[in-house]
Amino acid sequence: MILFKAVTVKVSLMITLATVLLTSLSLAAKPQETESKPLPKIIALSPHIVEMLYDVGAGKQIIATTDFADYPEQAKNIPSIGNYIRLQLEKVIALQPDLIIAWKSGNPSDDLARLSQLGFKVVYSEPKTFRDIAKELRQFADLSGHSEQGRQVADAFLKQLDDIKDRYRDKQTITAFYELWSRPLTTIARGSWPQQHLNICRAENPFEQVSSPYPQVNIEQVLKTPIQLIIQPLSVNQKDKEGFNWRDWPTIQAVSENNIITPDADALHRMTRRSLLALDKLCLDIDKVRQSYLSGI
Amino acid sequence: MSQAQLHRLPIKLCLLALLCLSSIGGALTFGPVNIRAQQLLTCFTASCPTPVIDMVLYQVRVPRILVGLVAGMGLAIAGAILQNTTRNPLADPYLFGIVSGAGLGATIASITLANMLTLALPLAAFLGALFAVVIVVLIAKALQRMEQLLLAGVAVSFMLAAISQFLLYLGEPFATNRVLFWLMGSLARVELANFYVISSVLVFALMVILAFHRHIDALLLGDESAASLGVNADKLRLIMLALCAALTATIVAYCGGIGFVGLMIPHIVRQILGVTTIPLILGSMLIGGTFILWVDVIARTALENAEIPIGIITSATGSIFFLLIMYRTRKN
Repeated sequence: MILFKAVTVKVSLMITLATVLLTSLSLAAKPQETESKPLPKIIALSPHIVEMLYDVGAGKQIIATTDFADYPEQAKNIPSIGNYIRLQLEKVIALQPDLIIAWKSGNPSDDLARLSQLGFKVVYSEPKTFRDIAKELRQFADLSGHSEQGRQVADAFLKQLDDIKDRYRDKQTITAFYELWSRPLTTIARGSWPQQHLNICRAENPFEQVSSPYPQVNIEQVLKTPIQLIIQPLSVNQKDKEGFNWRDWPTIQAVSENNIITPDADALHRMTRRSLLALDKLCLDIDKVRQSYLSGI
Repeated sequence: MSQAQLHRLPIKLCLLALLCLSSIGGALTFGPVNIRAQQLLTCFTASCPTPVIDMVLYQVRVPRILVGLVAGMGLAIAGAILQNTTRNPLADPYLFGIVSGAGLGATIASITLANMLTLALPLAAFLGALFAVVIVVLIAKALQRMEQLLLAGVAVSFMLAAISQFLLYLGEPFATNRVLFWLMGSLARVELANFYVISSVLVFALMVILAFHRHIDALLLGDESAASLGVNADKLRLIMLALCAALTATIVAYCGGIGFVGLMIPHIVRQILGVTTIPLILGSMLIGGTFILWVDVIARTALENAEIPIGIITSATGSIFFLLIMYRTRKN
């Protein structure tokens, strides 16, 4: 009986050992399979797509891009195969990418149609809201073979977005003028990318209801509106002088109170994870001005 | 044209044809992807050394060169015919509002049909161009002065451009980019099917021009002399305008706005081959086609990672050419 028990224990041990061995072998074999499968070579046709791919860990797979892809630093070394006007089809063909990620409204649609026709896989990016950024982070991560990292980055992004929204949800609104360009003086309205920034930060845009998303305005229209804050985003490539000279108009409340903020236009306007950091900073700056008005009452 | 000039005409035309043919061969070797002459020969005689060269050559470069060739030919003969029939050396197909009309069509398509632009844009541009010409002709008819066709064209051009600009101002900003750069012209988007369409219209236009070539020559003597020879000047001008409009509209629809070719090439040809219709048309075709082939080579190779819109190069060279002509006229 004792002998039988000993044999049973031995057999059970052997079976367990064999199972563990097989499982570990199969587990060890699985990553090797994944590793052996080459990751797709990608052409990313806009700076925001390049940035998103770096965010999900697929930066090294980018074999070409378009002009102005300058973030992160490594992106400056990616060869360019065109710009927002035209792509060099011959170069795309020579590179033989597995995947082309294009910006639907920012790339030449005829060139993209031609590439699809030639048999290349073209996937489009068209983020309209912050939530679209998270969606595309996941999508690009799946397509580039980095699903897990993409999911983590997208989840963290959405959580951070919700945190910012919650922080300012019940704040009192402040009237702000958003200077998109200075010559001609151009602002934003509904349907534009930065309008959602103002909505989240509880800044009221007096031109929100204009039908054009990026309307040109007359300084007289600004003068007749009580503006408490002027937001003048500036790019790193832009000199301060290129912004509108608000000091010439001291009758505007925001100017007389020196409530002019100059956030980083590149981070604010590029539809990537970085825009959330810029949003956070913008809301903080707007809130400081809000507090100064509230404390002055 | 003197007898000696008449005898030299076939030689000159042969030389121009040779230049055009060698330009086709030469243009095939230029592009971002390096294809050597030896590899080209292998492609045409057997099969290409690599699938990449095969795709670049047959899907990109050959359609581009063929469309460039017929577009240059078409624009040049449209200019030549309009200049001869209106007896105005400044007549150019674009002065009749064709580009502004095409631009309006492209704008409407860009704003309303952004998801199906590949098909919608050329079609809308073609309809817009024809619409512009119809308006120009109706205005000239209403004024009962066909010689004012050009002035009516300029007015219609400004009117249609203003409508386009207003629509773009109201529309989304990317539509403005699309239309603006489309109007600068490019051969990068063309495919072989476009070549068949443009060359069919070109062949039809050539047949009509050849049928009426004596009538057009008679117009060079003046309306009264032409009438004494039995030519109805107004009717002939209308037919030729409709023909040139259809030809130019087809080219603009696929290639965008390629300016100055119709204005400039006939002037060069007149210096070499004379003013009568047949040599002028044949010469304009050969020089116009050759000119666009080389302009496109510059467009696709001048910048390392980008393309220059072809209309910029034709307009730049065209304006310099015009200034030179003005300078020469002053000296004479």
